[in-house]
Amino acid sequence: MSSTTTTPATANITTRNTDLAANLPSAGTVLSNLLKADLTAQWRNRRASIMVILIPSIILISWKGLIDKFGGAFALSNCITVGLNAIGLMGYTNAIARDREKGIFQRLRVTPAPRWTIIVSRLLVQLIMIVITTLVLFYIGYQVDHIKLSAGAYVLAFLTAILGGAVYLALGQMIVGLVKNQEMVNVTTRLVFFAFIMIGQFASFGMLGDTWGKAADWSPYGTTKNIISAALSPDNWTSTNYMTLLANLAYTLVFTTLGVRFFRWSNK
Amino acid sequence: MNTNLPSPVLQVANLNVSYGSFKAVRDVSFDVRPGEIFGLLGPNGAGKTSTLSAIEGLLKPTSGAIYIAGFDNRKQPLHARASMGVQFQSTSFQPELTVSEIIRLYAGIHGISLSAERTAEILADIKLEDSGSKRFGQLSGGQQQRVSLVIATIHQPPLVLMDEPTTGLDPQSRRQLWVRIEAMRDRGHSILLTTHSMEEAESICDRIAIIDHGQIITIDTPQAIIDDNRERPEVIRASRRGKITLEDVFIGLTGSAIRS
Repeated sequence: MSSTTTTPATANITTRNTDLAANLPSAGTVLSNLLKADLTAQWRNRRASIMVILIPSIILISWKGLIDKFGGAFALSNCITVGLNAIGLMGYTNAIARDREKGIFQRLRVTPAPRWTIIVSRLLVQLIMIVITTLVLFYIGYQVDHIKLSAGAYVLAFLTAILGGAVYLALGQMIVGLVKNQEMVNVTTRLVFFAFIMIGQFASFGMLGDTWGKAADWSPYGTTKNIISAALSPDNWTSTNYMTLLANLAYTLVFTTLGVRFFRWSNK
Repeated sequence: MNTNLPSPVLQVANLNVSYGSFKAVRDVSFDVRPGEIFGLLGPNGAGKTSTLSAIEGLLKPTSGAIYIAGFDNRKQPLHARASMGVQFQSTSFQPELTVSEIIRLYAGIHGISLSAERTAEILADIKLEDSGSKRFGQLSGGQQQRVSLVIATIHQPPLVLMDEPTTGLDPQSRRQLWVRIEAMRDRGHSILLTTHSMEEAESICDRIAIIDHGQIITIDTPQAIIDDNRERPEVIRASRRGKITLEDVFIGLTGSAIRS
């Protein structure tokens, strides 16, 4: 090596304090700026957001004739679960896969933004979507299907919808953690989305038999639907519902752990 | 910017980066002084990008130390990142956001609140006064590079890292970017850039390091590197015009075989 390097020995390097340390932006400042940008991006993508709300709304309206037979809680819980599925699997997951593929995360990672703020900002946007979707479905259920519930049931269902939404966001995180390629993420989320919807709906109508019906009941779709359904009629809440709630939380925990463990910020 | 920073602004000491059993960077050490344009040159796969990625904090080195403005980029990553600005070879921002919104976002992440007037001034400074409401993808390559450079320096960092900044630009845009890079140096920024262009290295770099097979083989001013190596037989063999250029030295030192 014919170099004239000014090689500094690691041991001799001294850390200097500069005024940059004092000027480091707070995590709150970073998060609010990221959130503002992510909300703007979501707003500009409002056609996709409207589709997410529209699909369960159309199902709920079309099931008006089934309310007397199966009950309002059944219809509403199924439709809310479809909405949560779409938000977590289609909205969140595909946006994360796209931004990873485009290098948008790499650009953010070289700034003083703590890494958790980048993901929390995205999750907060989806949380807002969950709130809006749930409220819209409550409104449609009330106005169109004449589903009338107590205030307590609405509050409880609202809270369980957020818990159920967390399952699908965690599932989306797991998919985007385990699958690196954007196209493959897209295909996987669509397959999982339709599998959950089809199997969940068939099982709800008792078309899959006992074994498959029970399996569907304890799937992420089934547990979410069942806790929302139980929350909509709190008088009928049983010990099984506690088990369902526990299963729901366990799914969230497992999916999140795998999703965080295997997540890579870049495909390269 | 903290103009009282003692030199150097960037210290890389005994850096090693491995991908499995492959050692991409081997015991690399160099520093970048205040107000200096430092070029990192090397053939494809030489270890330039791995070195740069380690400095940016995008990959974890196997061993070694990196200090940015005195901050250890492992122990104080946020402080280290706040002390640098990065321009990637190809930059992408959220396609839904306008150029003004992107500039305000990155300023905000650095704790800088930009008014609409100040954003307009920044855009006027890079001759994009009418493009604030455009999406980043609607800009030309040269315009995108200017926006990207503004974002990299919006917080006036002591160190600016640029990965092949002029790749894909037409001669006019490339010359304009050189002027901007030199202006940044005059304002006190230190710049570390990677490049394949020997012309670029000779024109704007104060010092350069040639890296090959993960190791630095020489560091000095472009002219000193030419002078030190002009008598080497492999450099003379590489010379095409009689006069020894930096490219001849580069080819002589790194070989003429095409790298993948």
